[in-house]
Amino acid sequence: MVSTVRNPEAKQKDAQRALVVALTCQELFHLGGAEVSSSEPYAPGVAFPLLQAMQVVNERLLELNPEETLLFDVVLLAADCQQHQDRIIATTRHYGLDVSRFCFCSRDEFTHLLLRERTHLFLCTDARQVATASHTGVAAALLQPAPSRPTQQLRVLFCTDPADRPGTSQQVCQVAGLLGAMRSRLGVACGALSIILLTVQGGRESCGRALLTLRSWGLGVDEAYCLAGAPGGPALSLLAPHILFPDGSALQA
Amino acid sequence: MVKMSVDPVQVMSGQVNELKVTPSSNGESRGPWEEKEFDQDHLGLTTKPKSPKPENAVTIAVSSRVLFRTEREQKVFEQKGVEEYLQYQVEHENEPFAPGPAFPFVKALETVNSRLREMYPQSEELFDIVLVTYNHAHVGIRLINTINHHNLFIERFCMTGGSSPIGYLKAWHTNLYLSADAEKVREALAEGIAAATMFMPEKLTEVSESQLRVAFDGDAVLFSDESERIFKAHGLDKFFEHEREHEDTLLDHGPLKGFLEALGKLQKKFYAKGHRLDCPIRTYLVTARSAASSGIRALKTLRAWGLEIDEALFLAGAPKGPMLEKIRPHIYFDDQMFHVEGAAEMGTVAAHVPYGIAQKQPCKKSTNA
Repeated sequence: MVSTVRNPEAKQKDAQRALVVALTCQELFHLGGAEVSSSEPYAPGVAFPLLQAMQVVNERLLELNPEETLLFDVVLLAADCQQHQDRIIATTRHYGLDVSRFCFCSRDEFTHLLLRERTHLFLCTDARQVATASHTGVAAALLQPAPSRPTQQLRVLFCTDPADRPGTSQQVCQVAGLLGAMRSRLGVACGALSIILLTVQGGRESCGRALLTLRSWGLGVDEAYCLAGAPGGPALSLLAPHILFPDGSALQA
Repeated sequence: MVKMSVDPVQVMSGQVNELKVTPSSNGESRGPWEEKEFDQDHLGLTTKPKSPKPENAVTIAVSSRVLFRTEREQKVFEQKGVEEYLQYQVEHENEPFAPGPAFPFVKALETVNSRLREMYPQSEELFDIVLVTYNHAHVGIRLINTINHHNLFIERFCMTGGSSPIGYLKAWHTNLYLSADAEKVREALAEGIAAATMFMPEKLTEVSESQLRVAFDGDAVLFSDESERIFKAHGLDKFFEHEREHEDTLLDHGPLKGFLEALGKLQKKFYAKGHRLDCPIRTYLVTARSAASSGIRALKTLRAWGLEIDEALFLAGAPKGPMLEKIRPHIYFDDQMFHVEGAAEMGTVAAHVPYGIAQKQPCKKSTNA
């Protein structure tokens, strides 16, 4: 049973023009172990800093153009969380989060819901869920745990190197285009959003091709790092992205 | 002014290193037949060699403004702002930049690398040149095109779009960082990374294409600035007195000691194969100290550190420009802008190490140690 609840506190976005991002409730808040009967707001979860950074981007976009429709439109997906419904909504209000709507469903309806909500981008820390979503035709990326030095800037990283299980490039291309349009509207000097390219195994040729591919998709890159086989771990912790697109096989085309 | 070679020329007679089975300097024990087989595998192959692991290589990080000439683009940035600057860069993406002050140095590093690869095909003890720039990635394509055009072997880079690259410099075990911006160089020095600011001289004297030549000032570059402090506070006589009294006390190390050490390790790989006479790396000490007096402490310190320097030039206060013009180093490191400018006037690429007491006082155009 799927139920969609609009958040009356949040300004509704034009879903046709916005960049629809789906997050899971379990990652936005710490749900586990809490008493069902309690009315205390949940503690922030791993996706919290990401959502805050997306809100800042929205604010900047609206500052530049109060009629702006290309904004992050956040949908909170809650699988098997019916009993927490009221508290989830109350917690969202408590923090004043810019979540447009809540979708409560059962676990097997999850991917169907992603498609129904016209999700452009599904974000999750679980690589398998990301892969499943990709295979279903929804662009998905890894949500990274919060960095040691928190930043207000939304950092989106594209990795050039092909992942073990490649996803579909068409959806990533579409998200890239939307992100690119957002980035252009903000202007180069604006520090609210940074697009990062990371080439771990390849050298300058790989990196160059990826830059051109992303450009052809309408996305300009702010920071580029090419490791040519140097360890990726330290680089990744220095880069501290919120969002990581793991598969870059399409970027090598 | 005395010119001294610290290491006397050794005639390596009777040594047939090439045919002996020796544990080579790269730590591997290989029979010569194995090396030969490997070489034959590589004959005729045009695949690019793999980049060495950062901890094995001598990593030289250069910024885009010292590797290439970007004055015109800098002007656009200063006069018209970042958006126009980036647009300009993208519009001129297929026009490679011209070589900058660090270019001959980088080319010489690559020459050394080709010889090292010939002699030690399995070794990762090589120079690894990385591009580290604050530039925005919109300039990326143009930089990559330029590297391709000049046939440089640069496979690692970071374009940070404005934030500090110090973390990456550290992660890549950077042995030397060259930038056009003194602030960034100072930041690196404060983090213990050898660094220097480079400037484009108006004229460039020709340098060797087969031998890398690196020249260093002594105080506040290879050594600490302790003696310079004495000179600045108490004058030349007190300086001489102090150096004489402390002749047998080692000087403390300076910011570029580690880089000289790294060069020395690579030099030994050539010596091990009988190439002491024609070693493609040559190092020089160019100091205002005097050979007969204050210079002794410098030499003793180097010897105690186990560092060899090929030529030590004690100028006893004479100007460094003419001597550097004779040496023709690819790069010369000095802590005083006065000397850096003097070198540049005569066509030497000089790099300023903003370290020590000399930075806190205005330049004096007088004899100094």
